[in-house]
Amino acid sequence: MIEFQNVSYSHNKGYGVNNLNMLIKNGDFTFLIGPTGSGKTTLMRLLYFDLFPDSGIVKVNGNSSNRMSIRDISKARINIGMVFQDYKLLSDRNLFENIALPLHVMGFSSNQIASRVDEAIELVGLEGKESHFPKELSGGEQQRASLARAFIKEPDIILADEPTGNLDPVASFELVRLLETINETGTTVLMASHNYNLIKGRGRPIFELKNGILRVR
Amino acid sequence: MDKFFYLIIEGIKNTWRHKATALTAIFSLFILLYIIGLISIAEKNSFKVLQYLRSKYKIEVFFSEDLTNEEAIGVIHKIKKIKGVKTATLIDKDDALRIFKDQFGESIIDLLGYNPLPASSVVNVERNIRRPLRIEPIIKEIKALSYVEEINYQGNLIKKIENIYKKIAEYIPYFSGIVIFVIGLIIYNMIKVSISSRRETIQSLQLIGATKLFIKLPFIFEAILISIISVSLVFPALILTSVGLNYLISNFTVYSLHLHVAPSLFLWLLILVTLVSVLASQRAVSIFLK
Repeated sequence: MIEFQNVSYSHNKGYGVNNLNMLIKNGDFTFLIGPTGSGKTTLMRLLYFDLFPDSGIVKVNGNSSNRMSIRDISKARINIGMVFQDYKLLSDRNLFENIALPLHVMGFSSNQIASRVDEAIELVGLEGKESHFPKELSGGEQQRASLARAFIKEPDIILADEPTGNLDPVASFELVRLLETINETGTTVLMASHNYNLIKGRGRPIFELKNGILRVR
Repeated sequence: MDKFFYLIIEGIKNTWRHKATALTAIFSLFILLYIIGLISIAEKNSFKVLQYLRSKYKIEVFFSEDLTNEEAIGVIHKIKKIKGVKTATLIDKDDALRIFKDQFGESIIDLLGYNPLPASSVVNVERNIRRPLRIEPIIKEIKALSYVEEINYQGNLIKKIENIYKKIAEYIPYFSGIVIFVIGLIIYNMIKVSISSRRETIQSLQLIGATKLFIKLPFIFEAILISIISVSLVFPALILTSVGLNYLISNFTVYSLHLHVAPSLFLWLLILVTLVSVLASQRAVSIFLK
C-alpha cells in the first residue's frame, strides 16, 4: 500500500510537491500524469525514500518516512522495483548480469538466479540477448531489460517514472502491456507519464499532478 | 556465502571490465612503489656502504726505534683494548724491512748498514657501530700510549664520510615519511578519480536496494587485486635493479659491495599499498553513497 498524508517537499529552486494526499491499494495499477516539472519525479523519489518530506508522512509497504533510518532504506527498496526513463542499466554488465543484480543483492544462489533470470528474460521477450551489453540493445529493449530487473525480485510495488519517455509509440504500448501483465500477478504499479494518450481509456485510476498539487482525474 | 563469493568475483570482474583504468592504476602504483622500494634499498644498504668504507679506514701507528718486538706486542694489546678498535696488526722491524724491499727493490741494510725502520701497527676500526664513528678519541688514546711516535690516518676523509652517514641516518626517515605520505595521497586520489567515474553504478546499485557494504566490497576487492598485481610487478623489478647495480659495481668499479633486497620489503610494500588502496576506495565510495 502507498499512502501520502499531507506531504509537502520543496527543492532548493522552489519546485516540489504541496500537501499531497493519495492512497494506492495493494494490487492497483495507477497512472500519474502531469507536464514536465509538475513534481512527478519528486513524488516518485519520495516513494523510494530518495527524498524525505518537509512535512507529512509517506507510507510504502508499512515503511513510514517519519520512522526510517538510513539503514532501513535499502531494505525498503528491496520490495520496490523501479523503472526509469534513462533505464539506469549498468553499462559495463551484460543483460543477464544486469537483470540478475537484485537477486545477488538479496543473496540468492547461482542456480536460483540463473532460472529466475531466464524466466524474466522470457517474460520481457529478450531471449537470446543475454550476453548483449546495454549499448547493443535498442531503447525499447533496454527499457524491457530495466523492467525485468525491477520485476525479478518479485517486489510488492513497481514504480515506473516516465518509462516510455525515450520510446517510440509501439515500444511504449508494449511496455505498458508488460506492466499490466506484471500487475495481474498482484504487484502494485504506479506509472508516471506526461503522455495522456498512452494511458487514457485503460480503465485505471489516474492522478494528475500540476504545479505540485495532486488531483484525481 | 554465495553473496560473498559474488562480491569477490565482481571485484575481479570490475578490474577486467575497466581494463584501461586498472592498467593506469597498476602502472602508476608500479612507479610509485618502485620509488619507495629504491629509497628503502638505499636506506637498508647505506650502512653496508658505510661498513665497506670503514673497512678501508687505515690508522698507521709508528713506534719509537728502540722498541723491542716483545714490547711492541704489549703495546698492540693495549691498542686492541681501546673502544672502537677492531684489529691491530703488528709490523715489526723485520716486516718493515721486507715491505721496504718489496716496494723499492733494495735492502735498506745494504744501503745504510743498519735497520732504521721502526716497528709499526696497522689499526682497523670497528665497522658495525650504527652511530657515526668518532676517530679522534681513538687517536688520542693511541697517542697517549708509551713508545708511540707518530700516527698517520685519513682524518678529514673519515670525518666527512661519518658526517655524510650521520646526515643520511638522520634525514632518511623524515624523507621516506614525506615520500610515503605524498605517494599515499597520490594513490588515494587516483583511486578516488577511478571510482568517481563509476558513480552512476553506485547510484544504480543503491536504487536496487544494495546495502552500503554490498556496494563497497567489490571496489575494495578490486583495490586489493590491483595492489597485489602492482607489488608483484614491483618486487621482481627491484630485484632486477639490485642485480644490475651489483653487476655494475663488481664489473666497473673497484668497490666490493653487494646490494641486497630484503624479502620483507615485499610484505611491507604490499601492506602499505593495500592499506592505502582499501582506505581510499572505502572513502571514495562513501562520498558517492548517500
